[in-house]
Amino acid sequence: MTAPFPTPKPDEAQRLLSPQELEAALRDIGARRYHNLHPFHRLLHDGKLNKDQVRAWALNRYYYQAMIPVKDAAVLARMEDASLRRVWRQRIVDHDGDAPGDGGIERWLKLAEGVGFARDYVESTQGILSATRFSVDAYVHFVKERSLLEAIASSLTEMFSPTIISERVAGMLKNYDFITKDTLAYFDKRLTQAPRDAEFAIEYVQKHATTPALQRQAMAALTFKCNVLWTQLDALYFAYVAPGMIPPDAWTPGTGLVPEPAATASPVSLAAGTGTITALDVPRLPRGVRLRHDAVRNQHVLLAPERTFDLDANAVAVLELVDGQRNVRDIAGLLGQKFAADPAVIEADILVMLNDLATKRVLER
Amino acid sequence: MNAITPNATALPAPVGLLAELTHRCPLRCPYCSNPLELDRRSGELDTATWQRVLTEAAGLGVLHVHLSGGEPTARNDIVEITQTCAKLGLYSNLITSGVGGALAKLDALYDVGLDHVQLSVQGVDAANAEKIGGLKNAQPQKFAFAERVTQLGLPLTLNSVIHRGNIHEVEGFIDLAVKLGAKRLEVAHTQYYGWAYVNRAALMPNKAEVDRSIRIVEAARERLKGQLVIDLVVPDYYAKYPKACAGGWGRKLMNVTPQGKVLPCHAAETIPNLEFWYVSDHSLGDIWANSPAFTAYRGTDWMKEPCRSCDRREKDWGGCRCQALALAGDAAATDPACSLSPLHAKVRDLAVEEAAETPPDYVYRTIGSNVQPNVRTPLNEEAPL
Repeated sequence: MTAPFPTPKPDEAQRLLSPQELEAALRDIGARRYHNLHPFHRLLHDGKLNKDQVRAWALNRYYYQAMIPVKDAAVLARMEDASLRRVWRQRIVDHDGDAPGDGGIERWLKLAEGVGFARDYVESTQGILSATRFSVDAYVHFVKERSLLEAIASSLTEMFSPTIISERVAGMLKNYDFITKDTLAYFDKRLTQAPRDAEFAIEYVQKHATTPALQRQAMAALTFKCNVLWTQLDALYFAYVAPGMIPPDAWTPGTGLVPEPAATASPVSLAAGTGTITALDVPRLPRGVRLRHDAVRNQHVLLAPERTFDLDANAVAVLELVDGQRNVRDIAGLLGQKFAADPAVIEADILVMLNDLATKRVLER
Repeated sequence: MNAITPNATALPAPVGLLAELTHRCPLRCPYCSNPLELDRRSGELDTATWQRVLTEAAGLGVLHVHLSGGEPTARNDIVEITQTCAKLGLYSNLITSGVGGALAKLDALYDVGLDHVQLSVQGVDAANAEKIGGLKNAQPQKFAFAERVTQLGLPLTLNSVIHRGNIHEVEGFIDLAVKLGAKRLEVAHTQYYGWAYVNRAALMPNKAEVDRSIRIVEAARERLKGQLVIDLVVPDYYAKYPKACAGGWGRKLMNVTPQGKVLPCHAAETIPNLEFWYVSDHSLGDIWANSPAFTAYRGTDWMKEPCRSCDRREKDWGGCRCQALALAGDAAATDPACSLSPLHAKVRDLAVEEAAETPPDYVYRTIGSNVQPNVRTPLNEEAPL
């Protein structure tokens, strides 16, 4: 015989977690929400972004880097315990350095210069996306307005960063010929700094989140921080990958850069049909480029001036839909139906492929 | 996507056919790739034979047909031949000087489905260009031709053969390609066979000039990315490894001469005792698979050391047979352009020496000339022929 009512259980959401459970719950937030999962980072690390897209990332991310000591100073100002402040102030030293030319912000500027930017332009932050500014500012406000526990908990994304950093460094060195080990020096330091900082912060949170409500606040603070990072990548993706809607006044490719040393400095205007292809562009195969089935080798080929491209099944599926009428988004939508896949992911992939062909001058818009 | 790569074991299917429709040409470039002994008009294949050859080529797997010469538009049936390519699905590439009757035939070629135009430019400065090409008033004709090509929406490639007489103009060629609306530019350092071999001392640039030209091209590639594709062919004599000549002997290319002789490369006739077959006697498939000229150096069985045991033997296929003959006196030797060849240092020294001398006058190409092949002694004087 069953009871007329189920035995009341303590509400899971209100239960006090053990320190280990709390750490596991915090790590679970990272496993689901940390920005290494964002499609923009996937493209970045896999070498599928073009140089201008990497530049947009470096430029915007500078504002985040530059505001981190401001954020940490705000946290510091709220600490009444000298032993806490002694630990926390190290974060400011890490970022600002002890002298000009030193520290994490400086190393980030080197990265931005390494991809071609003029230092002044980066430091001015005039070209960053509004969404970058809003997100970063929200973070600074958050640590000022919320409890010290929440401020410290929001820094816990550092628990997840060593993974993303090693993925990023390996991926970027392998995939981009314009990235060097020197350019990425910022991340070398962070590989040791971040775990040290995270270890302190997690211990603090475990010790001070003494009620179910405080534990949930700490978890919510970390979720908020993950969203601060995620939102910045959403904005980058929207502006510079797909649909490629760059807001007014934000950086546009070709500006803010140090002029590249050219053998002849004659100004050259872009020929018709050239330039980066974005989601709303209509790609076409120009005269002199033909998709053909090669019966002798039983494969599809793209015939172009003085060259032949072997095509795999995916490339054929895309190029068969390139008819000079459909835009990239329409093509991605049709492929999404055909292969029961996410059109947004397909769109990002085929933009890479189409831009590669455009660079080789066998595809135009 | 990859470029088509040959399979070393099976008989590969040919990818390209170089159709030398005629040796007649209004230009007289001193580095012309045609043989010293040029075919006369009376011996040229007729339209129907070319159409049969093209049909057989398509059946074998040929994808690209390079309509070349001499000047291919000197043939009255160039439009018909191009139309045949289009009907067979063959990609047609007109390799032209752009002078003479070329412009007058261009619209008709466009209408029947010509795919691509490769226009030669001998220099940037008109006087220099016309001295090299040996024809007055050629430059304005070429520019007018290029303008019509891009007006029609045909893709245009400029081809510049680089030597000491124009190596100072490499920047100019790049600017010219952009100005004329070309999508591709070939900066091709002279390869020293045929007429270029005869004129080698007049053409050989020095190493510093070559290095400078490479740096200019590399900077321009980055600057013009997405607008102009620049293909660079570096001079063999200064290279570390030889090029896979024609993609490997009998692996990718066939060359049909105006008289219908089928060659593995356009200079193959300089090799003595090779037996070439004619399209009048054999089908193209039979020639590709079985003609002694094609089987002689296909694959790796013919190789000697250091090629035979070399890791790169299926990458560069031993380099160029014609150059091996010309420089080493043995067509089966390692191409002396290769740093592994015992003759490599001599080749380099020779290039340096010739580039340092005052250049002699050009020997211009002409039909019916009495210039003899192999006017130079091979480097290895004891090598048996």
